[in-house]
Amino acid sequence: MWGKGLINGLRLSLKNAMRGPITVQYPYEKLELPERARWAVRPKYFDDGSPRCTACMVCVRTCPDHILSFDFEVREDKTKHINAYTYEIGACMMCGLCVEACPFDAIEMSHDYELAVIDPGRLTEDLLQDVDAATNARHKAEKEHAAAAATPEPAEDGDAS
Amino acid sequence: MSPTLAVIVKLLSIIALMLTNGVFMIYLLRKVLGHLHIRLGPMHVGPHGILQTMNDVIKLLTKEDLTPRLADKALFYLAPMIVFVPSFMAYLALPFSDTLKATSLETGLLFTFAALSVVPIGILLAGWSSGNKWGLLGGMRSAAMQIAYEVPLLLSVLPVVMLAGTMNLGGIVDAQAGTWLAVVPRWFITNPLLWPTFIIFVIASLIEVNQTPFDMSEAESELVAGFGSDYSAMKFGLIYLSEFSNTFVVSAIGVTLFFGGWFVPWIPTSWYGAVPVLAPTVFILKTYLGIVLMWWIRGTFPRVRIDQLMDLGWKRLIPAALVMIVLTGVVDKLIVPLFSGAVR
Repeated sequence: MWGKGLINGLRLSLKNAMRGPITVQYPYEKLELPERARWAVRPKYFDDGSPRCTACMVCVRTCPDHILSFDFEVREDKTKHINAYTYEIGACMMCGLCVEACPFDAIEMSHDYELAVIDPGRLTEDLLQDVDAATNARHKAEKEHAAAAATPEPAEDGDAS
Repeated sequence: MSPTLAVIVKLLSIIALMLTNGVFMIYLLRKVLGHLHIRLGPMHVGPHGILQTMNDVIKLLTKEDLTPRLADKALFYLAPMIVFVPSFMAYLALPFSDTLKATSLETGLLFTFAALSVVPIGILLAGWSSGNKWGLLGGMRSAAMQIAYEVPLLLSVLPVVMLAGTMNLGGIVDAQAGTWLAVVPRWFITNPLLWPTFIIFVIASLIEVNQTPFDMSEAESELVAGFGSDYSAMKFGLIYLSEFSNTFVVSAIGVTLFFGGWFVPWIPTSWYGAVPVLAPTVFILKTYLGIVLMWWIRGTFPRVRIDQLMDLGWKRLIPAALVMIVLTGVVDKLIVPLFSGAVR
């Protein structure tokens, strides 16, 4: 019958109207991001609050956009002091290569996606500022500590069986 | 009350109706279209966004009034008024109840359509005077559409006029009072003879008020905003308001012609006298139902092409409307009298 498609279209749009919204009232409600969503790069810290970063420069060399940069000093005893770890978020394409390259798991792709700023100066930010970089020894100790914390569980299993 | 004062009060109340109606209808449009598109529409200003249009009106009133350098300034200023005044005039003959109407014109139907048919001239002027190719194309399309669709629109209401025996809108409503066998309302829509007529009327009136499947004169995807591309601030506001007001008027005409105007079937006529607000409320509710139907169509169908539109108008609707006139005449004047006294 001519006009059947028109009536069917009306029926469908009415059905959709009855379905309720599929949109989210954004500033008031937010969707949960997928776990592996990649947004702004953020540094990670040890439990005591000191940064995991060792200022090894791997991320800086990996970054295809050249937006990460370090300003650090090497002391007499070969420990490093980070003056600034600068990140130009305005030019970042959230590719995540720096995070993959980091040998110390010191940075992550955060879920921080509300990145608009009113001042263009804030598109360049310091991720770390005026802190001591972590040493290799610190990372080794932390790894052993974590392994020690993990071992008792298999032992318990062994007792039970 | 002196006659002059009465006229002034009537005109002011029409303007008040037009403005409040416009504000409410814009909100309603956003909500209806929103829900049809599986979203919510305005939600931010006021509960469920009811104050959104108020804000928009204030924005329009305080916005800078731009005039393009290439515009024909006199016509550019005149056009919104030529669009606005006829849609204001179109309210004059609408019967909101037996007593509540600005005038009781014997040719009310003709007058309303005549007033509405001036609107495209204003739109053509608006498009022409903008000095802009989008505006000009939009205005030209509007003029072409008017020629193609004013005819079937007027022809499609003639069968109703033939059955009612009058062009007075109040008289047409009176002809639909009561019920058949105390069940089916005697509205013209319940007469199968008028169903094709009603479909022609709906299509032609959608085109008359520039609703989306046929909004060729401001087709956003092709013409930016068509004739309104260069209008800003309250000049744009007037054009926009007139568009919504025309939607209301056309829906009101549809209610008057086919859905029994202010009548609710099954209740005694004396109630309308006893409760004066009943009739206008019923009329406006029915009108809004018609408007929501139009927007349901608007939110569903994609825009047709201009040549398809012309095809439909000249090759289908005008012949169909003419056939319906002849058919209604034959049935009403030859066949029904044969069985006179049977139903009608």
